[in-house]
Amino acid sequence: MIRFLAVVERDLRKFLRNPLVILVSIVMPVVYLVILGNSLQGELRNITVAVVDMDRGPFADRVIERLYALQAGPGTIMLVRVADQGKAMEGLKSGRFKGVLIIPTDFSRDIMRGKNPELGLFLDNAETVSADTLRMAITGAIGEIERDFLPVRTRTSIPSVREVNLYKKVDYDQSLIPGVVIMAIFLGTMTTGAFNLVMDRFLGIEESYFLTPLTRYDIVMGLMVSGLIVTTVLALFVLFASSLISGIYLWKVLTLHGFVLLTVIIVLSTLGLLGLMFIIMGRINHPRIVGVLGGFLNVIFFFPSGAIYPVESFPWWLKGFAIVNPETYSVHALRAILFKGADIEAVKGDILFLSVFAVVALLIGILVFKRGL
Amino acid sequence: MSYAIEVCDLVKRYKTVTALDRVSFTIEEGEFFGLLGPNGAGKTTLIRILTTLIKPTSGRAVVMGLDVVKKRAEVRKVIGVLPQAMTSDLDLTGLETLDIYGRFYGIPAMERKKRIAQLLELVGLKERARDLVAAYSGGMRRRLEIARALIHMPSLLILDEPTLGLDPQSRHTVWELLRRFQDSYNLTILLTTHYMEEAESLCGRVAIIDYGKIVALDTVEGLKRMVPEKDTIELSITNIGLDRAEAWIKTLSYVHSCVIRDDTLMVSVDNGARMVPVLVDGLRGLGARVTRIILKEKTLEDVFIHFTGRPIREEESRKVSFLIGAGVPLKWSR
Ligand SMILES: Nc1ncnc2c1ncn2[C@@H]1O[C@H](COP(=O)(O)OP(=O)(O)O)[C@@H](O)[C@H]1O
Ligand SMILES: [Mg+2]
Repeated sequence: MIRFLAVVERDLRKFLRNPLVILVSIVMPVVYLVILGNSLQGELRNITVAVVDMDRGPFADRVIERLYALQAGPGTIMLVRVADQGKAMEGLKSGRFKGVLIIPTDFSRDIMRGKNPELGLFLDNAETVSADTLRMAITGAIGEIERDFLPVRTRTSIPSVREVNLYKKVDYDQSLIPGVVIMAIFLGTMTTGAFNLVMDRFLGIEESYFLTPLTRYDIVMGLMVSGLIVTTVLALFVLFASSLISGIYLWKVLTLHGFVLLTVIIVLSTLGLLGLMFIIMGRINHPRIVGVLGGFLNVIFFFPSGAIYPVESFPWWLKGFAIVNPETYSVHALRAILFKGADIEAVKGDILFLSVFAVVALLIGILVFKRGL
Repeated sequence: MSYAIEVCDLVKRYKTVTALDRVSFTIEEGEFFGLLGPNGAGKTTLIRILTTLIKPTSGRAVVMGLDVVKKRAEVRKVIGVLPQAMTSDLDLTGLETLDIYGRFYGIPAMERKKRIAQLLELVGLKERARDLVAAYSGGMRRRLEIARALIHMPSLLILDEPTLGLDPQSRHTVWELLRRFQDSYNLTILLTTHYMEEAESLCGRVAIIDYGKIVALDTVEGLKRMVPEKDTIELSITNIGLDRAEAWIKTLSYVHSCVIRDDTLMVSVDNGARMVPVLVDGLRGLGARVTRIILKEKTLEDVFIHFTGRPIREEESRKVSFLIGAGVPLKWSR
């Protein structure tokens, strides 16, 4: 026990002697949040749409009014009134407009007669993202018109409305928080634990403690525990900081129960990744390889975890990977606890997977480690 | 008589290299034993086998009565080792280093504290104990590592090129330290080196190792006796002719030969130190004035040349992987 604790202390002391590393480990994930949050915005803004009103009836006015509301409110679209249909289509082709909405001549009359109203929406399909957003925004806006003005029986004629966000209170910056936390955990586990072995091997320092009575368990478990302490603290810091800058006050949102649960998820995720790093880096003897591998692995684990895009939308093979990717479960659990106030019941599947993963990874990690030159 | 180290037919082969080739020797308790050989001779390989870090291909090695392959854990407890490379953590202080290593050996806190204070004093790092090792000079770092190797009071200390890369002054400090430790702790010391003076000034017995083989093993004196070359005295004189001086010198019984080279008399004798005054007095008696004397004593260098047929080489370049520096598995490189 005394030996194992000495390994932990050696590692922690060395870590604390590098304050810059600590700072960077906290700041980097938070910067990620800001950059990701602003470059992959959930809702696009200022998509230029041309409107050609050939109806000039009351319902056409309603539609246009709604679209102006969309422009003034969320700012998704920027409306340009165009009188001539041909000009509008030309603008679409040239890229001046991302979409053209045509209100046909009999639009208002059709609605009053209870016929299926039809609008023509032409989209620039070369830009799928903005096309999708436009389609959703405009069908959404028009759907509301129907609700406001039409009797129930015409409901069938309303285009179905898909919501942009499933949980409306969460805006995009905030929904990235679980991903940012898991990224902090990844960075933490990559620069502690097994990485210290690689460094010692590279510097030829390992020889000195291989000469002592330390066992392989002392060494691996010691590095594991110090890595766990460091990474957990970092991850909690990052969670706190990123919540704060995206406007969540954790102390108001989280119950003690929730906080404990959150910490459990962070600890289990950390242990699993630490074990994984021991497996991967177990025999590497140059930090440069870790650098190359680290960037690669980060992306490989991060993007298919559902941190940014929902797992459901992946092709089957990537879904398959997401199922065995521990980060998927971490992200799922963190999201559930942070935004849906989930209790242990809701995340017990995640906890089970992460626990099993951690145990298996740690065991293999210890086996892979070679105590000798 | 029990042996501190017993090595029997030890062989270590790497893919193409035979680093150790049937090495056998014994070291008695209390000895200061030197292993002298050029770079690449197999010194580190031998030390690593004796200290349980690598396994021999064949043969047997017993350290303090414990087989180094079968009783690794026990061996580690009874030996103190200074590896060839500097292995102390740069971002720990000297004090922390000793404390942490003390705990690696499971030494209780009270005893650890006492022992650390003592060692720091002895290696002269008391004042700098709370500084980071990164701020130490090479010599200080080496001294800290020697203290570290002694933290658990081993009775056998094994040092792999302890003064490699140190400046002459630090080197002498380390030598002084080792002598003191051997006296006061009754240590058995095994040291490897490729510095002649180091082996000569420290070691009782010396084994000369070359290309993985022990080519000679004896006390420093004994080794020198094995070498037919003699001490040489070079003399420059004025007032009388060199021929006359040569003729007289050749009549002396201890002189093996005397030749004139340029303006110098080269006299070959068994014991140079004893012959110098005899020669000087005699030449004065003949009316000569001695203007220059150089005594060239036999050194381990001569011994080395005698046994290996070449002087000890300084550096032998080692192949490093061209793919990613030191990053390629050892199996592929070298
Ligand atoms: N891991 C290794 N793989 C292959 N060859 C090695 C390895 N370690 C040492 N050698 C070779 O074994 C020989 C002895 O090396 P070493 O014991 O380090 O010599 P010394 O310590 O006397 O300088 C050298 O030729 C060296 O290149
Ligand atoms: Mg060596």
